[in-house]
Amino acid sequence: MRRLWLRLAGIAIALGVWELVGRHFGESLFAAPSLVIAQFVPQLFDGSVLPVLAGSLRQMSIGFALAYALGVPAGVLMARSKTVDALLHPWLSMGVVTSIAALVPLFILMFGTGFSFRVAIVFFATVWFVALTIYQGARGIEPRWLEVGRAFGAGPIQSFSKIMLPALFPYLLIGARIGLIHAIRAMVVAETFVIVGYGALIHNSGLSVSTAPLLGLLLLLMLLGIVVTWVLRKASSLIAPWYEERRTA
Amino acid sequence: MTGILRVPAARTVWLNWLSIVLGLIVWEAIARRLPHIVLPPPSIVLVRLVEDTLNGKLVVALLGSLEALVFGLALAIAVGVPLGFAFGRNRTFAEMFDPVLNAIYAIPPVAFVPFLIIWFGLHLPARVALVFLMSVFEITVAVTAGARDVNPNQIDVGRAFGARRFDLVRKVIFPAALPFIFTGFRIGLVRAINGTITAELFFAAINLGALMNDDARRFDTAGLLSVIVLLSLLGLAAQAALRRVEARVLPWHIRAAA
Repeated sequence: MRRLWLRLAGIAIALGVWELVGRHFGESLFAAPSLVIAQFVPQLFDGSVLPVLAGSLRQMSIGFALAYALGVPAGVLMARSKTVDALLHPWLSMGVVTSIAALVPLFILMFGTGFSFRVAIVFFATVWFVALTIYQGARGIEPRWLEVGRAFGAGPIQSFSKIMLPALFPYLLIGARIGLIHAIRAMVVAETFVIVGYGALIHNSGLSVSTAPLLGLLLLLMLLGIVVTWVLRKASSLIAPWYEERRTA
Repeated sequence: MTGILRVPAARTVWLNWLSIVLGLIVWEAIARRLPHIVLPPPSIVLVRLVEDTLNGKLVVALLGSLEALVFGLALAIAVGVPLGFAFGRNRTFAEMFDPVLNAIYAIPPVAFVPFLIIWFGLHLPARVALVFLMSVFEITVAVTAGARDVNPNQIDVGRAFGARRFDLVRKVIFPAALPFIFTGFRIGLVRAINGTITAELFFAAINLGALMNDDARRFDTAGLLSVIVLLSLLGLAAQAALRRVEARVLPWHIRAAA
């Protein structure tokens, strides 16, 4: 209960400070939250924002799905086989540090600026982080558990579905969460650069006199990130309640 | 997780190199069947990388990029480390502002670009601001974890020997949190490198960003790839260098290579 009050107080303080700072600088520099809500909420429901966001998310989810479908098996294989690990790790390390923004001009030459470009950017931004998360999770599986399974006569399929998969489950959700956050970031990078979809909305609202619509668009993205995180955390605590995630991020 | 010195076996190192060579061969084989605009072979990219390094083009651009990188990262460290300590050591503060921090962190940094243009224009201040935004949260999160997980026994020992609040922070909590501060620097540095090139492409194109823009205009895919490879190698080298420094400065605490 005390926690809830503290959190609400923290949010209230942040909003209060924003309101004061916003009023001081005026809406052309930093619109206050009251103004953002007053201007952005009508815009939100007049059909100029949400359908665009939905379209962007649909394309993003294809890139994410591809990255997840490839990243999960890659992570499991790397964790189970030292050879695969040694073969894939250099590329994984390289992929993790590579700047997505720097890939944008390259991918435009390779794929144009359409659908395949956006999917490729999201895929490339996401796959490494999914693989890395699953790898760390699968490495934590105790060999003893698998030995116990074998001792009780489990074949390879059974030991995968009955031992590894449940042990991996929380990591599948963490991988999805981290992957989705990276996918959303990549979507924004790609779309702001070529000025399409939700990125175009952000870009164009930057040109308007008031910062309220721009801040509204940012708040919507923030809300999206929070909802994704919250849903996947909840799912994790419902489906794998034995697993208490260590707070790392 | 901590305190394990992971010495890669000779076989692993060998396989790492084999993997790089194999990857390059596959890339070369695929690229030879495709037009160079779509995918140039690594041999050509490598030649470009060496040429542009020797004729100074990449070096000059890279040195120019360092300015925003250094300022932005220094600001992020100056804000992120104290903020991380506040979050890690003060429970009330953490409870209050953790949701706010997470909320701001959830916004993709590039979405701030139009806003940063309004505030800082298109040049150095805007680039510094984006580098700062892209690295400060990672540093804060790592330092928070470090400051929170200081072994309470160590603090008790410090207290028992009469250390007061300031001494406690300086002589017990800070050294115990140092490995996490280093982790924060390492992640922050990589993010700052990414932030620098992002800024150079999304604000007024300059330095490496300008090189990439020119290459893109001339459909020079090999040029683009040489810049990307250079940046990625730089990121890896920076990480490795900081690990070295960490092992020197904190010999009692060599962390597992993750």
